[in-house]
Amino acid sequence: MKSQSRSTLIRSLSLHAVLIPLALIWLFPLWMMIVFATMPDSGIFNPQIVLLPSTHFIENVANLQADTDFIHALMISFGVALTYTILSVLLTSMAGWALARYNFVGKSLVVAVILGTITLPYFVVVIPQFIMVAREFKLANTWIALIVPPLFNSLGVLFMRQAFSMMPADLFDAARVEGVSEWQIFLRIALPLARPTMAALAIILFLASWNNYLWPLLISSKPSVMTAPVALGSLVGLAKVSWGGIMAGAVLLTAPIIVIFILLQRHFIAGISAGAVK
Amino acid sequence: MAELSLKNVSKSFGSYEIIRNACLDIADGEFVVFVGPSGCGKSTLLRMIAGLEHITHGEIRIGDEVVNDVEPADRGIAMVFQSYALYPHMTVEENLSFGLRMTGNPKADTERRVQRVVDILQIRELMKRRPKQLSGGQRQRVAIGRAIVREPRVFLFDEPLSNLDAELRVQMRVEISRLHKELGTTMIYVTHDQTEAMTLANKIVVLRGGNIEQIGAPLDLYDNPANQFVAGFVGSPKMNFMSAEVVGVETGNVTLMLSNQGNVRLTLPLKDTPPAVGDKVTLGVRPEHFTNADGGIANLTVKVDVAEHLGNTSYIYANVASGEQLIIEREESRHDKTRDTLTVAIKSSHALLFDSAGNRLQ
Amino acid sequence: MHLRYRAAYGFLAPYLLIFAVFWIWPIISSFIMSFQNTRVNPWVFNPGATWGRLFIDPAFYNALKNTMIILVIQVPVMITLATIMAVLLNSPLLKAKGLFRFAFFAPVVVGEVAYAAVFRLMFNLDFGIINKLLLSIGIPAVSWFSETPAAMSLLIIAVTWRWAGYNAIIILSGLQSIPEDVYEAATLDRVSKVKQFIHITLPLLKPIIVFCVVLSIIGSMQLFIEPMLITNRGGPGGGTETLGLFLYRQGFASSNFGYASSIAYTMAVLAILISLLNMWIGREAK
Repeated sequence: MKSQSRSTLIRSLSLHAVLIPLALIWLFPLWMMIVFATMPDSGIFNPQIVLLPSTHFIENVANLQADTDFIHALMISFGVALTYTILSVLLTSMAGWALARYNFVGKSLVVAVILGTITLPYFVVVIPQFIMVAREFKLANTWIALIVPPLFNSLGVLFMRQAFSMMPADLFDAARVEGVSEWQIFLRIALPLARPTMAALAIILFLASWNNYLWPLLISSKPSVMTAPVALGSLVGLAKVSWGGIMAGAVLLTAPIIVIFILLQRHFIAGISAGAVK
Repeated sequence: MAELSLKNVSKSFGSYEIIRNACLDIADGEFVVFVGPSGCGKSTLLRMIAGLEHITHGEIRIGDEVVNDVEPADRGIAMVFQSYALYPHMTVEENLSFGLRMTGNPKADTERRVQRVVDILQIRELMKRRPKQLSGGQRQRVAIGRAIVREPRVFLFDEPLSNLDAELRVQMRVEISRLHKELGTTMIYVTHDQTEAMTLANKIVVLRGGNIEQIGAPLDLYDNPANQFVAGFVGSPKMNFMSAEVVGVETGNVTLMLSNQGNVRLTLPLKDTPPAVGDKVTLGVRPEHFTNADGGIANLTVKVDVAEHLGNTSYIYANVASGEQLIIEREESRHDKTRDTLTVAIKSSHALLFDSAGNRLQ
Repeated sequence: MHLRYRAAYGFLAPYLLIFAVFWIWPIISSFIMSFQNTRVNPWVFNPGATWGRLFIDPAFYNALKNTMIILVIQVPVMITLATIMAVLLNSPLLKAKGLFRFAFFAPVVVGEVAYAAVFRLMFNLDFGIINKLLLSIGIPAVSWFSETPAAMSLLIIAVTWRWAGYNAIIILSGLQSIPEDVYEAATLDRVSKVKQFIHITLPLLKPIIVFCVVLSIIGSMQLFIEPMLITNRGGPGGGTETLGLFLYRQGFASSNFGYASSIAYTMAVLAILISLLNMWIGREAK
């Protein structure tokens, strides 16, 4: 008994001896982001190794604002991500509901096309999307251009379809017998019951939109509709630019997401894992 | 309230027929039970009446109206589901009134109807709870309550008791019976449990493989099954079936030899066209239709395998060398465990004869 | 009954419209474009200028080669690491599980631009913290951005850092779905922990690991932001130019839509082929 608890202790110690350094390495870039963001530019170029944060964050944000209107860009990003998330959850929930709960002509075709194309590289569609939105619809530098095209994402359809098809069919038949309309069945029964899945989906979509880089880069060049990742990316690689400012921008871009992640870790992880369980 | 009729109703998926030519008349206020083994189509038939499943052929009438193309909600029916189908995110009160609220029923009337249900089912103290906080029996009550609120012309029950434990099942069975008496509304009830069917029904419909095998009052089915399937399905423990060969045919009589029971011979009256000598037939005898040796039309001597004593009665499970098992009920005595053979007689007029296709010969 | 069909189309229609316009049509459109010379007006059918050019364009071969090198090294390294993370995170002996999970998973939520900027600064030749740390333990500074092997390693490190935790979470959910009694039975049969891992855990995890590999291949195949922002547009001198970056340059810097489309379809075909190969290997060994 004693030797067993001793071997357990050794196993536990070696487990932590591997995991703690690994976790520190993984946290290191995030930590350094904070350190750099609070350091004056002179400190960044200093040959000394500095691993602790300083106090120049506000100054760095001011430097960043001098290079690009980042606060405005953050607001654009937030507005775009929020609108996109709401619309996408709504549209894909409706589609997922139709595919999960009704039999109609063309249903299997729709499912097959979605499943068959979901892993296609985004690059396959980005050029025609760009030509269509920028040249044919002349919608470059508009909110519509930022929000609507990415709504094609079919992840939510599969997600919601899965959630709806796991609900007992009797529930909806019971409502049908009671004369509840199909719309009300969807809104009053199906959606409330799918709330956890919708939350997980909303988080993933918000994250994707908030961090989206390539599409906004292509479609928005005017500062008035520039999203935060594009604004920050435009500074990376410039010769005369404040590194502390860029890092402060990186912190401003990352902090809200990290906070959401900490608060809703369960939903985050549910969403990520659910994607793997087909 | 209304009578209901099915005329040549069929349903098929491609070439596979789930329901074949169902014909049925249900009188106003009747309690009809659809019974059969799983996969026989009984639930599908119920859902077709509800309007939840499309019908391929035929005509369903509720009252004077053909309802084939009428939406479920407009058929004047209410349905209780096997899984209860209570809305998990609503309280009992909300569950009861949801359908009425959604269809724009006047508020005062909705309240009146909910109150009535609360009185009938005595569920006042459950009103603010959610389904998760209810026991199985309470959920069942609420599900029934939700049906009553609709004040339907016909109640449909889809195996409503199969998720309950044995004791509660009996209790709810009695309650549903009482409800039928109180409301007097037509009820159609689906179950795979023949005891439920026997105890609840005015009229039983036995289904197998999409066909209606027999329609009749419970005791008619018990005494006069139309075929070997119904004979075997109705009654518990099951009817005993013994292989037999026709060895003699006279006017109004047929003589059989029980090939697996030591070639015992017996003679039965027969009105139908008799089978030919040498035909294989089946003799059916219910466990309670054995009596003491020499008290009937033929004696059987069997080897006792297991004896179950239930107190008021005993069941003897007897095996013969051929593998044919007999269940014999012995009311009068507690079987002596030391004896390993038993001689019993088949009561006359209680032995049923079936031809090789399973059809009853009378 | 008929109303219900109509309702289904009503639910589906809004999404389907967007799906058709911004996904299905572009898939078809770029396929057509990949056979067209789009640098003349009007565009003309000329596969020689697109698919034909792919075969002889050294810049394309360079990008293809770089993408493949990254794929072949990064995916196995990351999946192995992710599996180790998952197994360790699954240990009942582990304290503060949530903290570790946070550490490994946090990079996933950090935007590409933000982390690219941080990595660029951390790996700077003169004042980057990495080189300072290397120097302090006696290793000479590495010029991460001006030597191709170092720049490639940097990309591999960056992508692995960002996505290992993501895969670890997926593998962890697979681990947690293995019923405990399987291990209890094995322990009663005196099967060692190591053998349990090799003969029980790994075979049961195989489908989920194959899934992760396929997902990672598809992801790494499209690598774009990291070489764009970390190694400064595929530097040094195209040494880290990937297919994604090459496509971006052809399509959007040079507006050569036809050629870029043929690159996109090359990526798609490669991703599909490699994924199929992987799934085939996964099935074969069962």
